[in-house]
Amino acid sequence: MKKFLIACFLLVAVTNVQATPEQDRLALREFFAKRFPDLDLNEMINGLYAFDEGAREQWLEMEEFPPYEIAVEAGEEAFNKPFANGKGYADCFENGGIGIRQNFPRFDTDSGEVITLEYAINQCREDNGEAPLPWLTGELAEISAYMAFTSRGNRMNVVIPDDPRAVAAYESGKEYYYTRRGQLEFACENCHMQSAGNLLRADTLSGMLGQATHWPVYRSKWGETGTLHKRFQECNEQVRAKPYEPQSKAYRELEYFLSYMSNDMEMNGPASRR
Amino acid sequence: MKRQLPVMVFALVATLLLQSPAMAADAAAFDAALAKAQATLRDAESKVQLWTTSDQLMKGAAKAAASGDYDLAIELANEAGLHAQLALATAAREKQTWQNNVPK
Repeated sequence: MKKFLIACFLLVAVTNVQATPEQDRLALREFFAKRFPDLDLNEMINGLYAFDEGAREQWLEMEEFPPYEIAVEAGEEAFNKPFANGKGYADCFENGGIGIRQNFPRFDTDSGEVITLEYAINQCREDNGEAPLPWLTGELAEISAYMAFTSRGNRMNVVIPDDPRAVAAYESGKEYYYTRRGQLEFACENCHMQSAGNLLRADTLSGMLGQATHWPVYRSKWGETGTLHKRFQECNEQVRAKPYEPQSKAYRELEYFLSYMSNDMEMNGPASRR
Repeated sequence: MKRQLPVMVFALVATLLLQSPAMAADAAAFDAALAKAQATLRDAESKVQLWTTSDQLMKGAAKAAASGDYDLAIELANEAGLHAQLALATAAREKQTWQNNVPK
């Protein structure tokens, strides 16, 4: 009897142990592999175009003259324009800021915070005496688009260091993703896992895998290139949840989790979407 | 008509005087409902993500109050508070259940 009780206790303890981020990522890939057995999961970096053949054809045609091209060019110009103190963005980032998008968000062990690429760009500006840029669209999104463009083909490589604060930030983002919210009581998961590939009105819903590889995005609906946090806000509004501020702690941690789930997938930003 | 004028003025003044306390009470009741709703929203927002409807209802309440429709204003302010409480209730339930949706 005693042995049986100990075995029961161990079983409960084992099943309640928190999964590691890597276990989460592999379980997620398994989920989508079962859900879409005929789909090459790497195609999911293309969002809804992985599922919707008709929309994919239109999108491929659009990619011949991609609407984000103007943002990339403007971003390159802004990136290379020196600050008033003579320094520039290249001085703030490893490898001069080229080909590094896949490493963001990163966890800063000094501040204990998740640093997204856009957050780092504005940090760079402020450290050099420049005013921060608006988070959602415009010059910041353009610089981010340029930096993403230079990182195309690299593999997402978000690291969660062996630091309880980093794990807590990841777990917080994970909880956000799976928690229902807003008057419509939808979690991110409801649309992008349960209903991925299904139609929501006239739009096919993208899947969670690869969702972080291609930002910023030119959305036809927006008529401009915007950042991932603009999309977070929009998703919140669609389920009637009051959005958080862009680059708020909650959104940065959500991006941390979401990006880790796309680890080892090809970076393909910026992108265009409906 | 001239003879009736003082009577009409008296009647008008009397009506206004009699109505004023009632309007003041409505405005005071709205102020109380507004303060209560604002406190509920503040408390809820410090803990969870509010519904967008709360802010919309509060705006509607302010607009109704500005137009003198205090009954509607109070109703909308109370509803805004209720939506904040529902957001809290959803969050409390989800705290216990969100893990069930994580692939294992």
